[in-house]
Amino acid sequence: MGVSPIQYRPWNGERTAQNMRVYVILRSVFRHGLKSIGVKVLLLLGFFLMFAFQIITVVLSPHEGLEADEMNANMNASVLAIFAMLLAAVVTSDLISEDLSNNSFVLYFSRALKIRDYLIGKASGALLIMSILCIVPPLLIAVVATATQSGDDYWSSLGVVGRTIVAGALATMFFVPYGLMMSSFTRKKSYAAVGTFMSFFVLTIIAEVFSEFATEWIVISPIESFVYSFDWIFGQALPSYIDKGTLAAFLTLFIVLPAAVVYVRTMRQAVGK
Amino acid sequence: MSMATSGALQAKPVDSEAGSEKPVGRSAFHLSARNVTVRFGQVVALDGFTADIPRGTVGLLGPNGAGKSTFIKAALGLLQPESGSIQVGGLDSQSQSLQIRDDVGYMPEHDCLLPSMNAVELVSYLAQISGMGPRDAMQRGHEVLDFVGINEERYRLVRSYSTGMKQKVKLAQAIVHDPALLFLDEPTSGMDPQGREEMLDLVRKIGSSDKTVIVSSHILQEVERVCDFVVIISNGKLVRSGETRALVAGEEGVQALTVRGDDAAIAAYVKAIGEICEIMQRGEEGRGQASLLLRGCGNGKAVFRLARDSGVQIRNYRPERLDLEEVFLRAFKGGAKDGS
Repeated sequence: MGVSPIQYRPWNGERTAQNMRVYVILRSVFRHGLKSIGVKVLLLLGFFLMFAFQIITVVLSPHEGLEADEMNANMNASVLAIFAMLLAAVVTSDLISEDLSNNSFVLYFSRALKIRDYLIGKASGALLIMSILCIVPPLLIAVVATATQSGDDYWSSLGVVGRTIVAGALATMFFVPYGLMMSSFTRKKSYAAVGTFMSFFVLTIIAEVFSEFATEWIVISPIESFVYSFDWIFGQALPSYIDKGTLAAFLTLFIVLPAAVVYVRTMRQAVGK
Repeated sequence: MSMATSGALQAKPVDSEAGSEKPVGRSAFHLSARNVTVRFGQVVALDGFTADIPRGTVGLLGPNGAGKSTFIKAALGLLQPESGSIQVGGLDSQSQSLQIRDDVGYMPEHDCLLPSMNAVELVSYLAQISGMGPRDAMQRGHEVLDFVGINEERYRLVRSYSTGMKQKVKLAQAIVHDPALLFLDEPTSGMDPQGREEMLDLVRKIGSSDKTVIVSSHILQEVERVCDFVVIISNGKLVRSGETRALVAGEEGVQALTVRGDDAAIAAYVKAIGEICEIMQRGEEGRGQASLLLRGCGNGKAVFRLARDSGVQIRNYRPERLDLEEVFLRAFKGGAKDGS
């Protein structure tokens, strides 16, 4: 094969639906991401540092049921936030910046692919990788704890399993739109990765400074708001200076605003403006 | 769920009154633009552009910034025209852009390949985004890489390829989903002479099928060799269009004449011939030779008679034939009428 070029032949197959094309991009991002050494290291390190010991403890220690506060502690929100942030920075850094630097948008958008679908495909691939660290291990802990409980109130335990899934989903998607936004600002993936990580810390420092004057400003720190949202999801009491509405608004803003910016940036790049 | 759009693009005749340019001898158009205006702020990229582009291999010519890329993007539905419409195979470029793009292949001029993939992965990945199943995409990927002449190198990462190989991979990704309409933007850019020959041969092969191939190129000799129709754009407007054969054939009744003799005899002859024909252009003169472009000399008997009387020798007397470069230059000077 390949020695004597064949002639041009027509293709008479049927084209797949649009959502299958999103899946093609998702699969490519997922495979490409899992080939990255940085991603592998973060996934393994995160799993062993945060969850491996908890799984063993849950199996060995007798417990009557799965309690929400225990599960919240098992998820270790502040450490998970750091790992999720690092992982998002590494996973998303090249998703758009590489297409920018290679001028590859034209390869996608000269085909029957909407900008929205392109972004959904890229983001879904990143979310799938994030879920390996943010959803799968906590869910494993929750399921193992429920399966090995001595009590018979399984409904209560299953409720905590549900809360674990919600918290894991939040951890999975919290940093990805922001990472994608940083990736859409630069042609260098290293800038995007460092930019994502650094800008979180800048926000944290700003929150720390302002909270000296008014404690409610702490909510603009991504890491702090991430931790508070876990407390909220697991039904823990929030500090009096944290307003649930403000917290929900910030969480939504932190996810929606970067996603909108990415969309606009990509649309402008796609039409060469 | 599947969306069977293959073969959905059917050319339909356009209203002959609607456009100012009308190719001769072609009943079906594949792409037509009507009064298309596209602006980027204050810059008018397309200014009431109207053209009918028929099936076949078509050259899209124009200087940098003429509006060629804007037209291609508008035809793909990536840009929304301020006014006017573009029909691609009877489909509207704005409301049916996805259906159009399913049957369009685009080979960009600039480097755009994903360097972290090898050619097989890249071509089959893009085939799947074009709507092919994984198995079809892989099989077809190998077929088109064979077709463009990428052999065992297809398993190497694209970042290690030479410019010529990258051009071939770009062509492969453009044809992998078997589009009915193919845009090739400077297909021989950066290639060595042998590579250019190979690329032109591939374009010719593709064009000999039932596809429409639109070649945007600055190398006019190449366009002349492979394209059977030419569209010239300048400042966002159509300057000329027509069949290449008709454009290079020159204007009817125009003859190129070359005479030899001594300078005084030639001067007398030119003066005499100016009284019976219109001298459109005076070429090289002196050193015992003169070249003229004449119009309205009838059957030419007077030209030969005057030559005999003036004592000059006619070396060449034939209908004018241009090359595309000359057609291009004259189009900008407004020196010739539409070849169609």
